[in-house]
Amino acid sequence: MKWAGIACALVVALLSAPAGAQSDPKADLAKLKPKDFPTQPIEFTVVYPAGGGMDVSARLLAKYVENLSGDRIIVNNRTGGAGMVGHSYLATQAKPDGYTVGVIASLLWGDAMLRAQGRWSFTDLEPIAYVNSDALIWVGSTEGPYKGMSIKDVVNAAKDKPNTIRVATVPGSMWDYILDQIEANSGAKFLRVPFQGGGAGITALIGGNVDIAQGFYSEFRGHLEGGKVAPLAVAAAGRLDFLKDMPTFNEAFGSNEYLWQLVRYAVVPKGTPADRKVYLAATVQTAMKDPELIAEYRKQGVFFDPKLQNSKDLTADLNAYAEVERQFYVKTGRLK
Amino acid sequence: MFERALNVFWIVLGAASAAYAWSLGVVGPAGPESGLFPFIASTIVSGAGIILLLRPSTQVRAPNFPRSSGLWRVLGVILGLIVMAAGMPYLGFSVASFITMIILLRTVDRSSWLSAVTLAFLSTASVFWLFGHLLGMALPRGPWGW
Amino acid sequence: MEALNGLLTGFGVILTPANLYLCFLGSLIGTLVGVLPGVGPLAALALLLPVTFTLSPIGGMVMLASIFYGAMYGGSTTSILLNIPGEAASVVTCIDGHQMARQGRAGPALGIAAIGSFIAGTLGVVIMTFFAPAIAAAAIRFGPPENFALMVLGLVCTLFMISGSTIKGVLMMALGFLTAAVGLDVVNGRERYTFGSVDLSGGIELLAVVIGLFGVAEILSNVETMAKTTLLADRIRGLWPSLADWRASWRAILRGSGLGFMLGMVPGGGPVTAAFMSYALEKRIATQPDRFGKGAIEGVAGPESANNSAVAGSLIPVLSLGIPSNPVTALLLGALIIQGIQPGPLFIAQRPDLFWGIVASMYVGNVFLLLLNLPLVGLWVQFLRIPYRVMFPVVLLLCVVGTYSANKNVFDLWVMLGFGVAGYVLRKLEYDLAPFVIAFVLAPLLEQSLRQSLVMSPDGAMIFIKRPVTALLLAASVALTFLMFRRRTKTEGGLP
Repeated sequence: MKWAGIACALVVALLSAPAGAQSDPKADLAKLKPKDFPTQPIEFTVVYPAGGGMDVSARLLAKYVENLSGDRIIVNNRTGGAGMVGHSYLATQAKPDGYTVGVIASLLWGDAMLRAQGRWSFTDLEPIAYVNSDALIWVGSTEGPYKGMSIKDVVNAAKDKPNTIRVATVPGSMWDYILDQIEANSGAKFLRVPFQGGGAGITALIGGNVDIAQGFYSEFRGHLEGGKVAPLAVAAAGRLDFLKDMPTFNEAFGSNEYLWQLVRYAVVPKGTPADRKVYLAATVQTAMKDPELIAEYRKQGVFFDPKLQNSKDLTADLNAYAEVERQFYVKTGRLK
Repeated sequence: MFERALNVFWIVLGAASAAYAWSLGVVGPAGPESGLFPFIASTIVSGAGIILLLRPSTQVRAPNFPRSSGLWRVLGVILGLIVMAAGMPYLGFSVASFITMIILLRTVDRSSWLSAVTLAFLSTASVFWLFGHLLGMALPRGPWGW
Repeated sequence: MEALNGLLTGFGVILTPANLYLCFLGSLIGTLVGVLPGVGPLAALALLLPVTFTLSPIGGMVMLASIFYGAMYGGSTTSILLNIPGEAASVVTCIDGHQMARQGRAGPALGIAAIGSFIAGTLGVVIMTFFAPAIAAAAIRFGPPENFALMVLGLVCTLFMISGSTIKGVLMMALGFLTAAVGLDVVNGRERYTFGSVDLSGGIELLAVVIGLFGVAEILSNVETMAKTTLLADRIRGLWPSLADWRASWRAILRGSGLGFMLGMVPGGGPVTAAFMSYALEKRIATQPDRFGKGAIEGVAGPESANNSAVAGSLIPVLSLGIPSNPVTALLLGALIIQGIQPGPLFIAQRPDLFWGIVASMYVGNVFLLLLNLPLVGLWVQFLRIPYRVMFPVVLLLCVVGTYSANKNVFDLWVMLGFGVAGYVLRKLEYDLAPFVIAFVLAPLLEQSLRQSLVMSPDGAMIFIKRPVTALLLAASVALTFLMFRRRTKTEGGLP
């Protein structure tokens, strides 16, 4: 217990040291490393398929953590059920011995509240570090009848001609929820075409099979540069640095409820020994300060939520976001 | 006889599955619902089962199921795989695979204990090294860390 | 010509010792991965992705790409020799390939597979070289209605493939549909047939089904009889395809190349679908279709060529547009993104060194693979001399690891075992298992595309007639079905 306390104090000292201080991050980490740990590779569990946005974030993180700490990290994709299989594994089956770190997204909350049916809760996974955030963006095509329109124009068009504007959506997730909100608030009616992910929707947009697609920046950046898509609005609190001309939904509609972001963070299963948890947290948090990693992430179009980046109590702040989502579910009747 | 039992199995399976699919909803306002395709497929399964059941028995060739030693060998392989699947999460890959290999080598063809243990050890070790170490695949570890 | 300029650039990039070495290494690993039952290119790429961080972007991509098409070379080996597919795209090769091996013609089978793969792979790259952007622009217009029509065509072709009782084949296809329905309904996110199990909510893993139905079931059958101690050692006659083999195969190779390339480009296509449809095509247009299933070399040449050119086909959308059409290309896309490169319509213009370097590496890689695989034929054939009682446990162990590698979930092993026993029993009762697998692969996309199309369409089912490509494909399916029934009633004198 005493050692855990000292370890915690060291972590606090480490994290509050000013950037550019003479402390060597690798040496500090070595001091925190518990005895006999790790003796085998640490698994970074990703619940989505290899090559996707989550996977890319996790692999970049693993690369930097491995360089920093010298521990061997293996990224493991435990896929299935749109993330449900992996989330259940982390919450119920993964051994809390410090060898499993989940690199997950806030979609966990939806799974825990709506689909887990009491078998596990998202509190079974303890956050150790914040990674990045990605906000949902609506894009339109640069060809076709709706080109050149702003987001307000599009919504008005959907009001005038209900059920004609085709929007790509991923059923049962935030893609649907934001549509619910917009339709409820404006009286518009969109025609929802289901896809398995945001990327598939962008493909359909370019092929002229849908009129609006929803996705994250990394999914359409190449097409944006190629002049095929035009971003319409982002469901974030403020405009994105790299898309300064694109308004937020809240701006366009004078509201504050259009906030749909994916928060990526690292967790360990509940019950992981305190010293290992502290060490793992330190490795990830130190890696997240590396300017090279930050630059690589920025290229993916993610942004860093200042509240979470400077959070004193990550668990509490994340739980606050989860609570907002829970309120949404209750309000829309998805949860009792 | 077995063939007939199987055909009845298809009919029952198809019917049960069709009922479940129906309960999922077959057609909705937006077109096909979750249950449509499974319902159609289940009906085909039952229908095919009925047609097969009604075929004259002259057209059916009796399957030759294994007897005695053949049967034991087949069961031995199945047992080995059960041990592997059941044991891997608790014993880890290495131990489960070692035990399974021994079962396979001993029940299926009476290898001597020495050659069975040697081959089991060699193959488990090489597979573990190739996949677990060289390729970096996370094979389950037992309570003793490997 | 611009393409030739680009190609010269590409060769300039690839012909360095480092990149050549990586291309060779990838080819070697790919071949190995293809030979090992269960472990496929997807698992191998996911495992080796971290290695590419330390390499240059072109080096990493060259290595990953060569693993992808290398696996299509190696996949035929265990299919032919052991009747166990090296991976899902090689299932159909088992049918005639293994029969050829039983007739002592394992050498020619392996040889034709390798050479057909080389021809198809190279042809695919040639088409890529000259037509990539144009093809990509066309491929992107393939939307849900076109996908649906293509899947329907695929299912109809499957009906052609059924050997033995048609009714049993149709039953197997329906079961394949049902099994594919287990899990999430993609269109509305609801769970189907999961009965509360989390593992089932992820759906049933294709690899576990394939390894179970064709790997475990095969081992169970062999173990039961154990009539010989070695499989085929005493019946190896010659290692090279004869002139007659060539005459029979060359057209199949060309057809397979063309078909595979086109199927590789569309989402839901890829090497697996390409191989199946090529087999169905060959069987349909053969003058003596009864030879199929008994060692017809076209049944090896066609599918093995198709799965290779499908790789080239599937690389076009991802490299020209940044759009992946199957999980492996999605991973390649991810690998590029991690390196900080964003493939999109501007990729060729912004990074010609990368694009053309990858294309050039494919020419080189195919040559490497041919040089690797042909001499290996002699080696693999020697493997048959190993006593079965020693070989089968090791093969079974590899099957287990291979299946596990898909999702790292022990549940898949139970699925493999269950399908293994089921396949063993069904084989005894003369059920053809291939239609089950094809239906299992095609069903999800067929259902999804149909429902997406109906939602998208302002006038319901008319969308299938209004869009030209869709209408064409559907008409072809109807025509084929009609032809098939005519032929079946003529030759078999009745349906069941």
